[in-house]
Amino acid sequence: MKKKKIWVIDDDAIYQIIVTKIIQKTNLFSTISSFYDGKNGIEALADTIANKESLPDIILLDINMPIMDGWGFMEEMAKLEALKNKTITVYIASSSIAYEDKLKSKTYPAILGYLSKPISINDIQLLASND
Amino acid sequence: MTSKNYRLKFFRWLIAKPKTAGLFTFLLLSTIVGFIGFQQYKIVKDDEQLVMKNTLHVIHQNIEQSLKNSYTSTLTVALTINDQGIPENFDTISKKLLHSNLPLSAIQLVPKGVVKYVYPMKGNEAAIGLNILETPYLKEEALQSIKNQKMYFAGPIKLKQGGTGIVGRLPVFQGGDFWGFSAVIIKLKELLQTSLAYVDLSKYYFQFSKIDPTTKKEVYFLPIENNFANNYSVSLVVPDGNWKLALTAKQQNYLTAAMLIPTILGLFLAALFGFLITLILKKPAELQLLINQQAEKLLKSEIKFKTIFDQAAVGITNVDPISGKFIEANNQFCELVGFTQQELKEKTYQSITHPDDLANDENNISKIKQGLIRNYSIEKRYITKEGNIIWVNLSVSPLWNENEKPTSTIAVTQDITLRKEAEELVKKTENRYKGIFEDSPLPLWEEDFSEVKKNLEVLGLMHKSEEEVTAYFQQNPNETKKCSALVKVINVNQECLRFNKVDNKEALRMSLSPFIHEESIATFVQQLVAITQEKKKLNLEAIIIDNENQFRNINLRWNIISGYEDTLERVIVSTEDITERKNTEKKIIDSQKQIESLINTIDGIVWECDSKSFCFSFISKKVERILGYTPEEWLASPTFWADHIYPEDRESTVNYCILKTNQQLNHDFEYRMIAKNGSIVWLKDIVNVVVENDNSISLRGIMIDITKNKESEEDLNNSFNLVTEQNKRLLNFSYIVSHNLRSHTSNITSIISLIEMSDSEEEKTDLLLLLKSVSNSLNETMLHLNEVINIRNNIGLVSESVNLNQYIEAAQNVLSEQITAKKATILTQIPRDVVVNYNPAYLESVLYNILSNSIRYSHPDRLPIINIKWLIEDEMNVLQISDNGIGIDLVKNADKIFGMYKTFSNNPESKGIGLFITKNQIDAMNGAITVNSIPNEGTTFKIYIR
Repeated sequence: MKKKKIWVIDDDAIYQIIVTKIIQKTNLFSTISSFYDGKNGIEALADTIANKESLPDIILLDINMPIMDGWGFMEEMAKLEALKNKTITVYIASSSIAYEDKLKSKTYPAILGYLSKPISINDIQLLASND
Repeated sequence: MTSKNYRLKFFRWLIAKPKTAGLFTFLLLSTIVGFIGFQQYKIVKDDEQLVMKNTLHVIHQNIEQSLKNSYTSTLTVALTINDQGIPENFDTISKKLLHSNLPLSAIQLVPKGVVKYVYPMKGNEAAIGLNILETPYLKEEALQSIKNQKMYFAGPIKLKQGGTGIVGRLPVFQGGDFWGFSAVIIKLKELLQTSLAYVDLSKYYFQFSKIDPTTKKEVYFLPIENNFANNYSVSLVVPDGNWKLALTAKQQNYLTAAMLIPTILGLFLAALFGFLITLILKKPAELQLLINQQAEKLLKSEIKFKTIFDQAAVGITNVDPISGKFIEANNQFCELVGFTQQELKEKTYQSITHPDDLANDENNISKIKQGLIRNYSIEKRYITKEGNIIWVNLSVSPLWNENEKPTSTIAVTQDITLRKEAEELVKKTENRYKGIFEDSPLPLWEEDFSEVKKNLEVLGLMHKSEEEVTAYFQQNPNETKKCSALVKVINVNQECLRFNKVDNKEALRMSLSPFIHEESIATFVQQLVAITQEKKKLNLEAIIIDNENQFRNINLRWNIISGYEDTLERVIVSTEDITERKNTEKKIIDSQKQIESLINTIDGIVWECDSKSFCFSFISKKVERILGYTPEEWLASPTFWADHIYPEDRESTVNYCILKTNQQLNHDFEYRMIAKNGSIVWLKDIVNVVVENDNSISLRGIMIDITKNKESEEDLNNSFNLVTEQNKRLLNFSYIVSHNLRSHTSNITSIISLIEMSDSEEEKTDLLLLLKSVSNSLNETMLHLNEVINIRNNIGLVSESVNLNQYIEAAQNVLSEQITAKKATILTQIPRDVVVNYNPAYLESVLYNILSNSIRYSHPDRLPIINIKWLIEDEMNVLQISDNGIGIDLVKNADKIFGMYKTFSNNPESKGIGLFITKNQIDAMNGAITVNSIPNEGTTFKIYIR
């Protein structure tokens, strides 16, 4: 089974360290990339398409971020033509317990699930196997 | 005889036409005057002609004399010629001749036609050598002279020597042979001078002319001053030289002028005479005219009388009083009785008079015949041809003078059938009235107030003011009684008897006084007052006591029967018993009062209005307490209600009311009205639509003052809004708390689980360090939250009066390091004395946060400039801080900018707490903060301070 690429977009530096460690522990992903806000992430996505590099299979996305939040990122991603054929599975990973956010996430077909922090090894393992 | 007749006829004709006669006279006299004038003129003119002829004759003789002298002279000179044909002593003789003959200017001898000898030589040299027989203009005359062997005077001609002269030439023969001419030259001027010397020419012009022998035209030798060819001229021909002498009067018209005045005078006299004749003749003509007019008038009057007789609208008859026969009857009378003129002439008046009236008629006629009366007039009946009875008014007069024998009477007959019928009708009406009077359900009195009126006149109360009359009778009750005694009761009806509980009319027919009680005196006085004011009607309510001593309410109507307005002899008085009605009325009034008092106890305005116009017909007194307007004020204006609705509510309120009224639905609605004192009053109006026959007739309702309710409602709303706002903030805070705490707790949870799973000590140490940093972050977050909670709880919040400028300066000092580093400029435009009531710590914090943001987020391409201003906006003080920094995309971030931990840049110093705290602090001071920003241009914050 081929290992998948995963991107983590979150402004929380500590969370980034923690989630990287967790993902590494699962040993289910080939690469882990970290981005600190939506804008950062969407730019990286555009660069990847431009350089014809391989795109991530899964994106773990936070909602509350400076500059461009999770929703902004989703809208920008929908505009990228190159992603029409390839599906990138997005999971929201947020500390927010607001029900509105959960409902809103369901309006985006690209978002497959809503994870509440903290993220455990089990969660990551489930993501990896859930294809 | 015949001519005499003609003449008479003519004169009559003339007399009949005075103007023509005048004209005729004038023409006759004018002709005579004209004839005399003409004769006179002719005589004078002949005289004049004779004088002129004589004068001319004298002149002619004078000229002749001169010419004879010339002839003598030429003959004398001719005798000087000797046998050899040579003149001897020519000069000596010539000199003598010239001297004695003044008109002669020169003497010539012309042998063989050639001028050879001339005396005097001087001045005549030019003539020497002239051949007369060969000079064309002299030749003819010269040859003529030779032929006639006579002296001939040629000219007058232009002389070679100068001037005009006459040349007399005598042909000289020697031995029967022509020798030549002996000639004299006579100067024309001298000749005429000599000839005219003793002649009076003051009145005439003289002319000297000659027919030119060659041209046969008349040549004038004196200046032409007038026409010599007319009547005022005489002329004479001098044969010696074929000359013509002429005289003409200078004043040719003086004759006419001399004749004109008498002629005009004559004509004037003729005209005057003609006019006088006209006047004289006119008189009889006028008199004749007068006679004619009178005759015509007479004729006309006769015709008129005939016309009146024939065409009159009344019947006129001429009757023989003895036989009773109709002598003549006019058309109207014929029509009246239906007989023709012929038929009537066969009849007597007795035969067509109604038998019942005949005796009376005949009686009168006999009186006239006896001369007892001069005329009579009766109403009687005729029986017409068809047998109908007609009523006529007959006036009969005799056509004979007193003491004369009766001849005929003239009778004027007027048809009064209609009047008789009308009278009949009146009688019937009277009877009907009697019937109505008797059977009327109202008690009726027919009374005679004439004595009362007379008494009032005696008392001098007529036409006095009502007050005066009333006062008089109140002070003089005896007079009132006296008046009441003067009222005569003529009649009363059955109902009246019943009402007064009297058995027969006689009891009432005496006087009114028994019926006037103490209580009804006032009513009677009112009647007396009405009489003094000459009122024809009176209607009043009164109280009387009936026979059973019961009070009765009556309605007294007092009417004068028409025709008796002056005398008051007949007055109908009705006394209707209205006791029952009065009682009912009282009940109604009582019940109304009850309702009204009930309405007035209701704590709301009860009203009624028209359903179309909204014009109020009733409004309860409560309106004065609730809105301040009195009901009278309200009802005075038909649009009072709509006019006093609060302007904002007016249209919607009125429209709603119209809509619901049209749908015939009861409705209630709330609106504001402006009270009299200017305050706004909230009303709830509960409306009932009154419907009759499917039409809304009126609206009734109650307006309830709900101002207090409205105020509490508003308070409630405000409280609700406050609570909602607080709730929102609380929820927001709870989110903040949960989010911020959860992110840390979840990190802690994750780290701990990683520690548990970790294999190496090294990894554990790393994770512990990580845990420590999470713990610090958590602590920091807790501090922030604590701070916010403190702000929200308003704990220890004390406001002081602080000088705004001082605090701005203080904030700048704190930020001096950053300001220097970024080379920022802060421009403060705030009056030095601006003092605000604020919590000092908050003010410090707010200013620090906003200024530090402005410096931190300055634009990399330019030096930061910060403007601080003090404004007043919507009655609130505004502190405006604007920068030229990078700005914020408010389209995306408008709802987040003042949220906790909201950052909009990658700036590591962004913590997302400054503006959050600032907003909370400003909210705590009951102020507000707004932001306006354009990315890459700058941001402006407005802080509203209460």
